[in-house]
Order: sequence, then C-alpha cells, then structure tokens
Amino acid sequence: MKRVDAVIRQENLERVRECLTDIGVEGLTAMEVIGYGRQKGHTETYRGCEYRVDFHSKLLITIIARDDHVEQILDAILEGARTGMIGDGKIFVSSVEEVVRIRTGEIGKAAV
Amino acid sequence: MKRVIEGTAPCGAERSRWSRLACGVAALLATLLLGGVLTPCLADAPPAPDPAGTATGDRNSTLDAGGNPFVVPAPPDPSAPDYAQKKKDYDDYQAQLAKEPLAGKLADHVGHLRVSTNFSWTLLTGYLVLFMQAGFALLTCGLVRKKNAAHLMMLNFAAYVFAFLAYYAVGYAFQFGAVAINAAPANLGGTPTLNHFLIGNGLWGFLGGRGFFLSGPGYDAGSLCLTLFEVVFMETAGYIIVGAICERITFWAFLVAELCMGAIIYPVFGCWVWGGGWLSQIGTTWNLGHGYVDFAGSTVVHAVGGFAAMALAIILGPRLGKYGSDGKVRVFPAHNLAFVVTGTFILLFGWMGFNPGSTLGASDLRISVIAVNTNLAAVAGSAAAMLLWYWMFGKPDITMACNGMLAGLVAITAPCAFVSPTSAVVIGILAGVLVCLGVLFNDRVVKIDDPCGAISVHGYCGWLGAVCVGIFADGTYGSGWNGVGAASYLGHAGQGVTGLIHGDSRQFLTQLLGATICAVWAFGATYGVFWAVNKVKSIRVSPEVELEGLDMPEFGATSYPEDAPLTAAA
Repeated sequence: MKRVDAVIRQENLERVRECLTDIGVEGLTAMEVIGYGRQKGHTETYRGCEYRVDFHSKLLITIIARDDHVEQILDAILEGARTGMIGDGKIFVSSVEEVVRIRTGEIGKAAV
Repeated sequence: MKRVIEGTAPCGAERSRWSRLACGVAALLATLLLGGVLTPCLADAPPAPDPAGTATGDRNSTLDAGGNPFVVPAPPDPSAPDYAQKKKDYDDYQAQLAKEPLAGKLADHVGHLRVSTNFSWTLLTGYLVLFMQAGFALLTCGLVRKKNAAHLMMLNFAAYVFAFLAYYAVGYAFQFGAVAINAAPANLGGTPTLNHFLIGNGLWGFLGGRGFFLSGPGYDAGSLCLTLFEVVFMETAGYIIVGAICERITFWAFLVAELCMGAIIYPVFGCWVWGGGWLSQIGTTWNLGHGYVDFAGSTVVHAVGGFAAMALAIILGPRLGKYGSDGKVRVFPAHNLAFVVTGTFILLFGWMGFNPGSTLGASDLRISVIAVNTNLAAVAGSAAAMLLWYWMFGKPDITMACNGMLAGLVAITAPCAFVSPTSAVVIGILAGVLVCLGVLFNDRVVKIDDPCGAISVHGYCGWLGAVCVGIFADGTYGSGWNGVGAASYLGHAGQGVTGLIHGDSRQFLTQLLGATICAVWAFGATYGVFWAVNKVKSIRVSPEVELEGLDMPEFGATSYPEDAPLTAAA
C-alpha cells in the first residue's frame, strides 16, 4: 500500500476532490500547511518597516491507496490541481507498512 | 501518468505607482475644482450667516404646533399684497412690546433655549449615526472570508474619509443649498442662508447652490448643525455599497465610487426629497398628497446605497467560484459570526439616532413614537426572517436573523414617524420576508453576487419602506408636511401624512413614484459612471489577487498575521 501526500493550492481542493471521487477514492485527510518552494515570497512594508512574506498557505492532502490505484490517483490530482503557474505544489508517494480500520479492526487491503 | 510540462503563466502585471496616484489626485481635484469654480460665482447674498451661533434662535424661533411664531414677525416682502396689513400688525405689536420689555426678553431666551435643545438633540443623534460606521464595518468584515478581513475594514474606513470630503466640498451644497426656500428646518433656526438653487427654482428645484466648501453661507451655526447630521446619513449610503462590492473591487475604483456617492449620487436625490427639491413639492405642484415623503431615508439613504451597490455588483461580476459552471451557487461562509451579531447590535443602537434624530429637534415629542416604532420593526423583521428561514431550511440562520433585523430597520426608516406601533410590526414582518426572498432571488435567479446582502436589505427593503408610508401612515403626525395641508387635509384640521389604509390613495401613488425614481436614479447614475470607468481601467482585481485575498496585495497587511509567519527583512 502507498501513501500519497500532495501539497496543493487551497482553492483547488474542490476540483481535486471531484477528480478523486470520479476514480473511486472514498476518503482523504487534509491539513492547512504553510511552506515555500520556487514560488518565492516578497517584501512588504508595515508602518515604515520592511518585512518578508516567504510562506504561502497551502493544503496537504493525504490518501492511502492500493499499489495498483496509485497511478490513477496521481493523474487525478494533477488534473484537479494544476493551473500552470508557479506554486501549484508537489506530490510525494511513500510506502505504508500497515493500515487498520479502528471501527472493525480490519487490517491491510480491506482497511484501505 | 501525464507529465506534460507547460510554460508558466506570466506573473501579475506591475502597476505604476505614479499612475495610481495620478488617478486618485485627479478624482479629488475634479471634485474640488467643481466646488472651487462654483464658490466664487455665488457671492454672499443676504441674510448673513451666523458662525458664532449668537444670532440663531430668538423670539422668532418660538413656534406653536402649527409652526407659527408666537411673536408677530416683521413682514419680509414690501411688494406682497398684504404687506400693509402685516406692517400695521407688526407696528402694533412692537408698540405693545415696548410696554412689556420682559416679555420680549423672555421670548428671545425661550426661542434660544428651544433651538439649543434641538441643536444638542440633532448633534447627539448624529453622533449615534456616526457610530453605525463601526457597526457596519464589523458586520461586513464578519460576513466575508478571513483573507479579506483587512480589505473590508479598510473599505469601510476609507468610505467614511473620502465620501465626507466630497460632501464637504460640493455634496452638502448640492443637497441643502436651497433648503430654506421650501423646507427650512425651523427646529434649527431655519438656516436662512441656504436659499439658492443652482439648477431649478421655486417649487421645481433640482440642485442646491449655497454652502460649497461649507464656507460663506455654509459657515453658519445652524447650517453646520444640519451638515453634521446630514453628512453621517450620506456616509450610511456610502458604506452600504461596500457590502455588495467587497472581495473583488480595487481600492482606487472604490475611492472613485465614494467620491461620486458623496458628491453627486446621494446629494442629487437628497436635494429632490429633503433639500426642498421637486419631489418634495409634488403635493403642491401636482396635487399628489403631501408630496413624496421619506422621513429618515429609506430611499434617500438606503435605497440609494442599495441600488448603487446593485449597479456596481453587476459591473464587477460575481466572485470567482461563486457560480459554478453548472449554475450551482457556491457558499463562502462568514468568517466571524461574532462580528456579524455585534455589528448588527451596534447598527440597531445607532438607528436610535437615525430615526428619532430626523425630527431635528427634541421639541418635537413624536420622537418617542419614532423610537419605539423603530425597535418594533427591527425585532419583527428579525423574527420573521428567522422563522421563515427555519421553515424553509430547517435551521434558523444567524446571518439572516441579523439581515432580517436590518431589513426591518431599513423599511421602518421612512414611515417611522407616521405609523402606529402595530403598523411598525407589520412593516417589520414584510421586510423580514422580503429580505429573505431577495437574498434567494439575487443568488439563484438573477445571479448578482452580493456578499453581505446589501442589495436586498437596503435596496429592496428601502423601496418597500417608502411605499409603506403610502399604505400605513395614519394621519396622526406630519400636518403641513412639505407645505401641504397645514390648515386642513382630507377635510380634517391637523390631519398629517396619510396612507392608503386610512383613505389617501394619492399618497400611495406618490410613494410608488418617488421610490421607483430613487431606484432608477441610483442604479442608472452609478451604472453609467462605472461602466465608463470600467472601460478605461478594470475596477476588478486580477484573479490571482482575488484568490490570494485582497489583504496583502492591496494593503500589504493582513488581519490575522499569525496564519502566515513573517520573517524580518533580509
């Protein structure tokens, strides 16, 4: 099983979720995060003093998927989250050792 | 997996600081130039202004219920046919007065006291209306998304600042420069220096022409008392538009809108109704009831703001993502309901100045009726909205409860002095229902994006309020309003403004006419000006700025900086 983490723009959450639902993903976790990458910050002035705004607000969504589902999920996220401008985000795929459903105690693929 | 790498989109276009500064200065200069050109053309004409306030309020200010002075006034016009008789009466009176000097002194003092009471009443209620600025700022800030909180606050703040300056320069003169001709505020000493129409004359006035830059005839204690009261009313119309245009309008375009509101859009209609202009006189000129009646400004203030807001909202277009491609309406929930409710309470409190203050005097004891009517309509409106929404959607909506209260307040603003408490409750209920339907209509049918419901609360319910005068007014107040029927009206002595239910259908038609003219003027003038402005330079921010939130790009500041940590400059 794989864990797919995607850092996306906040306003694209709806579109990404629709794309994921279309391919059968039934759940995900989302967190508000701040970060920066190539989308650099800028300098502002407050009451005469300069300061840097380096961090942007983004969303980190996490999906646990079966190995054979990962490619579709990546395509869906790309379709929903891409705008073509710097700052669209990144997707990370990692391995997951174990998944357990708390309510029933199911483990492994049945819990995904 | 598709891995097409596309070119990046260009970053936002750089705005020249100088071109923005030039636009702002040009707009301000245009307003000032307009006033500057007009002021020298209008030399001080008698009577003399009274800046020290020492000559305002004397024995001639002591009036009875019919508005007739206790003392015999000096006949003003030697060419009038009854001059000889009036002069004789005056001379006899003067001879009598010479034998009773104390009576004369007492009459002067009483008159001065009366005007003093009315000055303090008018000014203090004006300060209450000023406080409504804070209420509206909180209300609208709470209703929008967190990323635009600073933007809303700044819009409300700058609205007060710039509309005031425009009103100081030309707006007050346009609205009240001729008020002494047909609508002299006797409670404040009559403001006799404001006696000239720039456009029109007599009973057909369209634009006033005294008191530009509040100088000369405008630098008068009585006039300035009126100025303070009326400017805060204009500010109300000024901040109403914020509710519909927020989250996507550029700051410079907003400043232009406020200057226009303070200089032209508000004062023109205000002149027609409150400045002695033609709409107030159609009772005399066209035999239409008491002429168009709007006690505290359902249309003069609220509908003007509401329909101007509608025009701007249409030109701006809806917020990004508000209406999906399938036509579905998307929700942008209020980010701070505590602000919304607090703001509504502050507005309610301020309305205690808005409506009762419009008598311009505590000597008019109808103020208690007005105060209670105002509150009744407020609570009735809120109850109606809450219950209707609960019935329609299963839960009472906090923002609609607040909008319902405001709708009731807006709708009672015109009729508050002329109706009974029960009528006030009915008017409130009607407004509460109308605002709910209006919000749904704007969102679902005509698809005009109105973040704070300003068009429904102020536009639609303002129109309703003026029409309600023509339905519910019961004749117990307003005898001689707009110079009609001072001796008797509809066959009764002392009969005041009357509506359809109590037998005056002409008043109802007059109210329909005037309220609709208000909507057409406010919408048309605003749409015309801003359609042109938008063609020159878009009044809407770029999509990138709108998605990020206007706080940082427009003002370099955010209301909640903890959300995005800042580091010191490199």
